[in-house]
Amino acid sequence: MSVTTTPPPIAPPPPWSFPPVERHTLSNGIELHAYDLPGQHIVAAHLVLEVPLSAEPREREGVATITTRCLDEGTRSHAGEEFAELLETEGAGFGVEIGLSGLQAVLDVPVRRLDRAFELFAEAVTEPALADDDIDRHVQLRLAEIEQGRANSASRASTEFRRATYAGDSRASRMNGGEPETVAAVTANDAAAFHATGYGPAGTSLVVAGDLTGIDVVALAERTFGGWHNERQQQFQSSPVGPAPRTTILVDRPGAVQADLRLGGFAVDRTDPRWADLTVAGYAMGGAFLSRLNKVLREERGYTYGVRLGFSPLRQGGSYAVQGSFRTEVLADAVREARELLDVRNRPFDAAEVADAVAYYVGTSPLRFATADGVAAQAAVQIMAGLTPDYLDQSLADLQGVTAESATAAYASLVDPMSASLVVVGAGDQLAEPLRALGYDDLVVIDS
Amino acid sequence: MPIPPYVFHARRLDNGLLVIASPDHAAPSVAVNLWYDVGSRHEQPGRTGFAHLFEHVMFQGSRNVESGQHIGLLQAAGASVNATTWFDRTNYFETLPTGGLDLALWLEADRLGTLLDALTLESLDNQREVVKEEKRQRYDNVPYGDAMQRLIELTFPADHPYGHTVIGSMDDLNAATLDDVRTFFTSHYRPNNAVLSIVGDCTVDTAFGKAETYFGSLAGGPLPAPPPVDPLPPMAGLPQQETTADVPADAVYCTWRLPTLGTADFDAVDLGMTVLGHGQTSRLHRRLVRRDELAEAASASTMGLIGGTSMGYAYARARDGIEIGQVNDVLLDELQQIVTDGVSEVELRRAKAQFERHWLHDLARIDSRADAFGEYATLHGDPALVNQRLQQIDAITVEDVAAALRTQLDPAARSTLIYRKESS
Repeated sequence: MSVTTTPPPIAPPPPWSFPPVERHTLSNGIELHAYDLPGQHIVAAHLVLEVPLSAEPREREGVATITTRCLDEGTRSHAGEEFAELLETEGAGFGVEIGLSGLQAVLDVPVRRLDRAFELFAEAVTEPALADDDIDRHVQLRLAEIEQGRANSASRASTEFRRATYAGDSRASRMNGGEPETVAAVTANDAAAFHATGYGPAGTSLVVAGDLTGIDVVALAERTFGGWHNERQQQFQSSPVGPAPRTTILVDRPGAVQADLRLGGFAVDRTDPRWADLTVAGYAMGGAFLSRLNKVLREERGYTYGVRLGFSPLRQGGSYAVQGSFRTEVLADAVREARELLDVRNRPFDAAEVADAVAYYVGTSPLRFATADGVAAQAAVQIMAGLTPDYLDQSLADLQGVTAESATAAYASLVDPMSASLVVVGAGDQLAEPLRALGYDDLVVIDS
Repeated sequence: MPIPPYVFHARRLDNGLLVIASPDHAAPSVAVNLWYDVGSRHEQPGRTGFAHLFEHVMFQGSRNVESGQHIGLLQAAGASVNATTWFDRTNYFETLPTGGLDLALWLEADRLGTLLDALTLESLDNQREVVKEEKRQRYDNVPYGDAMQRLIELTFPADHPYGHTVIGSMDDLNAATLDDVRTFFTSHYRPNNAVLSIVGDCTVDTAFGKAETYFGSLAGGPLPAPPPVDPLPPMAGLPQQETTADVPADAVYCTWRLPTLGTADFDAVDLGMTVLGHGQTSRLHRRLVRRDELAEAASASTMGLIGGTSMGYAYARARDGIEIGQVNDVLLDELQQIVTDGVSEVELRRAKAQFERHWLHDLARIDSRADAFGEYATLHGDPALVNQRLQQIDAITVEDVAAALRTQLDPAARSTLIYRKESS
């Protein structure tokens, strides 16, 4: 073989499947999903509670976050700091994830320390102390976190964008961790009540992934979680999410050297028949390095470090957005150019763009799901989205059916750049006029 | 149950390129990773930010590759692609289905061999703008975004190799010419200044064979003298900086000069810093966030560097209504205690257990495993250290940590940076 002046050919990837799951129902109804991944010495475990954030009382939104964040601040068996000390001494990492359609407690631990760590994991979930001081402190820390988020241009843009995208009566329009007024009202009693009604074995799943050679994971799960009962546990349904009216808003940050842009709107979730088409279209428009948006706005114009477009699914409904940071002087020009690029009526997606997108998703999957945490996180996402364990294989197969025509049609059915909502966070005195000149006559300018 | 070592083989090509091959057939993917022994510490005065700007230029095409197509072709082969620049090195990497290994190696070799053929002022200007946007996005437009620059400047003399940030000065970037880029390339981008790691679904013979095929004909060459690595003395005179900025809360940072990376002393002080400021059970979190409720966050960490002197820092952000001076006093109190008394057996065991989890987690992926081989080969001269790290860490005793903290974390040898909220 000699070195050529043209790229060497690529051998097609061998067939690949998402790792197989072993399922088992514990005696109390918890669904165990076990993934045996030889060579993965760090086990990842996700306890998935299908409690949507819409289950929070409206005037106490944030209570799910505060409660879940306090799980490892002490238990009835190991009070206060002692609990975290025990957990960290086992070399375990404990985290929580707060999603609109579910809550998760996550454990990472070396296989050889699995037994003891799992006992502590179950303790945190089933019998947290939720002490007054800890709840109060976490309320204060959450309020400080909101302030940090407001001061950060990109995070402020994302918060405003969800308000601009989801109907005001939906939980999705407000921050997962709660807005300041309702967070400030959360008390230890609220947390205790939320735990008592939201946490329990019914409808709950336990995902365990890692090198499980020689480990009786069913017995381990039964021993640690199988005795958990909660007669007060309630079942909650995710409530549907609707779109907000179109909004154009400029959050004024005087003197900011860059402006954060969100341009997009309401879209669909993974169960929509167009999902595979949208995955491909989103990649071609704003996912790839040489996507239509990034190629022009970064690689040709030098306007930004990077711009992307993505479809973000909820359990029901979802959104799409162009997002990026642009220096102030070129923001309006970037919006104008982005709107032109987003319009596919005169420039439909072509077969090469589709092939590249499919190859990308098919090719990156084995690596994304080669580790315990990658597999466990995806399995948990699937559970919370109400999808089956073969979802990933099915979605990769669906990609093979996407054509240039179907991708273009699906994309055009959702993305209308001229009627998309616009959120800009940046220097108001330099941005308001150029944006209005682009046709955003109804631009609302608010203080940061 | 000990973790089996990650088997690897290393071979140096005639042109000096070190090739590391480590098969792992668990998934049909392969990681290609190149470490170049050049970072911001190798930059010349007046040319700061150059190593990083150059990293961007490396994606602008070479003799047989059009601008942007390096990533374009690789992503279309199902690859994750990126590069990063740091004080001590620059790395380039892609992970992709095994059938794309030739493509990845061909692309990497083409830009190492022929980058200058495709270099134009237009592409340089474009990436100069992109890098400026990167700086605005990551540093200038975020609260506390200039903290790293301020800490570096407090800790290292301006003319020290670590005296400026990786992103560098925008004036220097503006001044960069095509000739500067050419000189930088020919000085540092040589096969004998690089380590190529191929980890994943590929046999050792195939990896070595393909490395020879694509890189074997590239010429090695003379390398510039390495930057000085004499350790700096501890800081004296308590340097302090205060700034008032548009930040949501007051904050305090302290820094120290620490031993160079890759020494037992560094590892010992690193474990001590974990006890002081990493995680929920760390001393700073317990005291400042949990017990006294003075801070919304508190932590401590090290930034290991290979050129004679590393940096360590402790940090706290004040709760609303709490005077930052009080936060600083309590932070110093905790510091004084750990320097005086050292750490307990159980604290050290906890720090080691956390190190083990992070280490094994990193090595679980073929891409980060390839990066670890590149790191230990480039910075420490021995990729086998990857399989010895856990034993090295495990051998450190409470006495080692106590001694390291006593000598390295002297409160009198710190610098201080304070952010005050505007109009507070």
